[in-house]
This record gives sequence, C-alpha cells and structure tokens, in this order.
Amino acid sequence: ALSFRGQLYGAGTAGSCRGGGGGAVGKMAAWGGVSRLWRRCCQGPGTFPVNYSSRDMPKQYRFLLNKDLLWVQFSGLHTDLHRHKDNSLVSISDEPDTLYRKLSVLVKGHDKTVLDSYEYFAVLAAKELGISIEKVHEPPRKIERFTLLKSIHIFKKHRVQYEMRTHYRCLELKHLTGSTADVYLEYIQRNLPEGVAMEIKKTKLEKLPEHIQKPVWDKLLSVEETASTS
Amino acid sequence: MAAPLWGRGLMAAPWTRGAFSWFLPCRRAIQTTAVCHKNRAARVRVGKGDKPVTYEQAHPPHYIAHRKGWLSLHTSNLDGEGGAAECTVEDVFIRKFIYGTFHGCLANEIVLKRRANVLVVCAVFLQRLPPYKFYFLVGYTETLLSFLYKCPVRLEVQTLPERVIYKYL
Repeated sequence: ALSFRGQLYGAGTAGSCRGGGGGAVGKMAAWGGVSRLWRRCCQGPGTFPVNYSSRDMPKQYRFLLNKDLLWVQFSGLHTDLHRHKDNSLVSISDEPDTLYRKLSVLVKGHDKTVLDSYEYFAVLAAKELGISIEKVHEPPRKIERFTLLKSIHIFKKHRVQYEMRTHYRCLELKHLTGSTADVYLEYIQRNLPEGVAMEIKKTKLEKLPEHIQKPVWDKLLSVEETASTS
Repeated sequence: MAAPLWGRGLMAAPWTRGAFSWFLPCRRAIQTTAVCHKNRAARVRVGKGDKPVTYEQAHPPHYIAHRKGWLSLHTSNLDGEGGAAECTVEDVFIRKFIYGTFHGCLANEIVLKRRANVLVVCAVFLQRLPPYKFYFLVGYTETLLSFLYKCPVRLEVQTLPERVIYKYL
C-alpha cells in the first residue's frame, strides 16, 4: 500500500549528501555513513553539506577522523541538533480549531485492486494518527456504456459497444479537528495513485449564533413586563 | 455484437441470407455482403508461427482489466470527471513524439501516468544507442514537453538488450 507514495518532489534531500569523508580518509562503508550523519549535524540551517578533505578540516575536529574516538565525540555535538527543531510549517494561533463531525472520503477508479490497496493505506494512516473510523464501505459500481457504428461509412447493422467502469470506495471518519483533518487529507492526497479520483465531504460543527441561543419567548416576556410597568 | 452473424452456422433457407446466396443450391451460407463481422481492433492475426509478438500485442482489447493493464492512467474517464478529450489528444501526441525521438528504440508501448500536476512517461527502450545519447534525448524530451504542456514532465526509462517475446504467431 505504501508503494503508492507519489514522488512529487523528486529524490528530495537524500541525494544531496555525498558519502565518504573526503578522498583521503578511510574507505569503510560504516565510516562513510557515520561521516554523513556528522556532516548533517554540523551544517547550519539551509546550507548544503560540503565535502571536507582531511586537510581542510579544522584542527580541533581532526581527532574525529580516528574511528576509535568516534563514539566519544558524538555526545559533544548535540548543540547543533536543536537548531532545526523550530519548524516553520507549524503555526500556533489562539482561535479555536474547527471541528468536524464527519469527514467522508470517496475514491473512484477504474481498477478495483488499486482501490483495495488505497483503502488499506488510508485506514492504516488513520489508525496511526488516532482518527476514529466510522465505516468503510463500497458503493456499487457504475458502468457507462455506449454503442457506436463499427464502420466509417454505411453498415448500420454492425456496431461496437464500449463501456467505462467506475468503482467506488467510501471511507467515513468521525470527530476530527481541523488541523488533524488537514494533515490527514494532505497525506492521503499526496499519495493518491494515478487514475484514481477523490471527493471529500466535510460536516462541520459550528457554535450556535448568539441571537438564537436563548428561546425568544423568554425575551418577549421580559419586554412585556417592562412595557406594562412603564 | 449487436448484429447476428449470418455468415456461418445458420442453416437457413435461401431467402434469409444476403443478396446473392439464394442462387446456390447448397445450404452452406457464404458471406457476401457486409464485411464488418470480424473484430480487427488491436489484434495481431495468427500467422505461420514466425511472427514474434510481445505480451501487450498478443492480447486483444477485451482482456483489458483481466490480463492487461491500462497504458494511459488518468481520471478523465471516471464518472463525473471531465477533460477526457484534452488528455487523449496529449497522450496521442506524446506517444508519437517519443516514437519519433527514440526511433527504433522502443521495446513496448509507453505508459503515461498523471499524478496531480506531474506527467510521468514510463518507457522501456532497447539498447540501440550509446548511453550518452539516451541521456541527452531524455533531457531534451523532458524539457520540451514541460514547456509545451506547462507542467512537470518526467521520463522514467528502462533499457533492455532486446524485446521480450511472449509468443510467436
């Protein structure tokens, strides 16, 4: 199911780190992986990792080239790790989050096995995020058929029939907050397989407006009382 | 098929057949009129056994969704979705373009996938050109098609030494 992850943004940052600690240093694969980690820790936000050869590395870090001392030095590098923690994508605001009573995700496709697989993926994602699933059902398929003439000229008795089958799958989730719904829907939609379309229906819970919070006859009685007294 | 096959097996009296067969004394019916009885779409006719045929070519279109998959994956043909004509025209152009750009190098039909804005063209090529020429042509195709269709176009290429033959017809 997770094989449908869409690679909309290419290989991402995975390809940008070059393996191996420079030309002069040892060739072991384990050291190559560790040096990649070290380099990623040391880079500032937004800078690309640079290939350091052993000559260019500053003197105080040259002891890191020695494989035996590696695990001792790692504990001292925690200061740089926390700089990436303030994520610019997360925003905190004071207004209350919108609440959804029901979120209905309808997927349609030509291939039923693709929809089966996608349903497994969506249900797994919902469970991992802790979203309560109301029900997962399969609405009946729709077949659109039409009959055309087989030949380009005359031969009215010989026709050809085509059909297009659309299969559906509906996933209903309940009691979501707005931010959870946004995150879940974005994840689901980025991994939508090709040839599959999705329709979303949200049922929002709104607070009752102030002018109808109390019944009208209470107000009328108080108005009559004031009118009669005055 | 809507029209019944009059051509064979119908032990009919002469007046039920087409134009001229009622002249013949025997009961065997010959097809003399409409030539649209047999379906010829996307089928390779059986020959002497010397014609190599790939899996895609060997299966006629009624096997789609049973033994075959789709070559062009998009949502325009689904119920309630539009844009089928534009998609189809784009697909036809891309297939002809790639057939011409990589002339003689295509092992099988191209698979076109549309995911959000991205157009992914999956092609299997034969190793008839040196690799640097392939890389250049892939980059050229991607850039040209991206500018033409105003959307990111990605070419996913696999190469084979020769065509995979499913059977000989």
